[in-house]
Amino acid sequence: MAKVTIYSTPTCVYCKMAKEFFKKNSVQYAEHNVAEDDAAREEMVQKSHQLGVPVIDIDGEIHVGFNRAELERALGLK
Amino acid sequence: MYDLVIVGGGPAGVAAGVYAARKKIKTLLIAKEFGGQSLVSADIQNWIGVKSLSGLELAQRLEEHLRAQEGIEILDGDSAENVQKLDSTGFRVTAKSGKVLETKTVLICSGSHHKTLGVPGENKLNGKGVVYCSTCDAPLFGGKTVAVVGAGNAGLEAVRDLFSYASKIYLLVRSDKAKGDPVTLEEVKKNPKLEIKYQAEVREILGENMVTGVKYLDKADNQIKELKLDGVFVEIGSAPNSDLVKDLVQLDQGGQIMVDSKTQISSLAGIWAAGDVTDVLYKQNNISAGDAVKAVLNIYDYL
Repeated sequence: MAKVTIYSTPTCVYCKMAKEFFKKNSVQYAEHNVAEDDAAREEMVQKSHQLGVPVIDIDGEIHVGFNRAELERALGLK
Repeated sequence: MYDLVIVGGGPAGVAAGVYAARKKIKTLLIAKEFGGQSLVSADIQNWIGVKSLSGLELAQRLEEHLRAQEGIEILDGDSAENVQKLDSTGFRVTAKSGKVLETKTVLICSGSHHKTLGVPGENKLNGKGVVYCSTCDAPLFGGKTVAVVGAGNAGLEAVRDLFSYASKIYLLVRSDKAKGDPVTLEEVKKNPKLEIKYQAEVREILGENMVTGVKYLDKADNQIKELKLDGVFVEIGSAPNSDLVKDLVQLDQGGQIMVDSKTQISSLAGIWAAGDVTDVLYKQNNISAGDAVKAVLNIYDYL
C-alpha cells in the first residue's frame, strides 16, 4: 500500500474532502496539522515549494490541493 | 443525444438537476465538484430551511439530493470547457477530459471564480504567500504580517479569519470607503492588530521564493509606497465563468451572461443560464437555486 501523508489545517475544506476521500477508499494516511506543527510546515514547504494546503505526499509524489481524479490515478484506484 | 446538459454543481446546477429528473428530461449534469463557491464557507446561516451548516455540509447535501434522483446522469470530477452550436439543432459540449456530449439544450450554472489582481508577482507567488482562500490558509500565518486586499464582505471576513493567527494585518482599500457590511467593519476595526489603508492600489507583489511585501500607489499623495509582508490575501470579488459560451451568447461588460429574468434564456435559443454566471443583480445561493428551477421549467416547455 502507498505511504500517504497529508499536510492540513483544521479549517481547510479541501483537506476535509481529501480525508473523506481516503476514508471512503480505505486509504491509510498520516496527518500533520501545519497550523500548529512548525516542523511539519517547514517540511511541507520544502516538499511542495509553496504554502497552501492541502499538500498530499503519495510515496514521494507531491500533490497540492484536492483533485480526486489525480489522487485516484496516483493511488491506482481507477 | 441528451435533451439537456447542465453545467455546474452549485445550488443552481443541483436545483436544475433535481427538477429536470422529476420532469423526466433526458439530462446529464457535468461538474468539477459540488457546492459552488460556498464550499469553503465555515458557516452558512441563510440557506432556507437550515439554521446553520458548513459549506462542506451544504455540498454533501446537494450531492446527496441529486444522486437520489432517478434517470439523471452525473459526470463529476470533470468540467465543461466549450459549447458549440451544431449545424443541425442542438449543441456540442466538450469536457476537459475530452468527452463530447451532444444535447438539444444547455443550462449554464458554472458560477464565478475569484478575481485576481493582475499585477506583477501575483502569479509567480500564488501559494507562496499569495492566498485566495483565507479560511484554508489563514492558520499558516501565525505570528506573521499580512495584507488583505479588498474590503467587501469577503475581505472583512478574511481579516476576521486572520485575527486568530497573524500579528499584524493591513487592509488595503482601493477607494476611500470599505464596501463590506458596516456591522462587520465596526467589529474588525476594534482589533488593534488591524491597520486600514484607504486609497491604496496594489501595483506589485514583491518576493523571489516567498512574498516579502507589496508596492502600492497611495492615491492620497500619489506616491508609490512599500509594505513588508509575509502574505497577501486577495479578496477583490469574483468574475463569471462564462468563457465556454463567450462566442455564442451575449455577455455584459463584466462577462456575465445576459438572461431574460422571467425564463433565464440567453440571447441564443437553446442556451439558458442561472446563478452567479448571469447578470442577476444579487448573487445568493437561494436565488441561484430558484433561477435554475425557472430555467428548467422553461426548458421543459421548449422541449
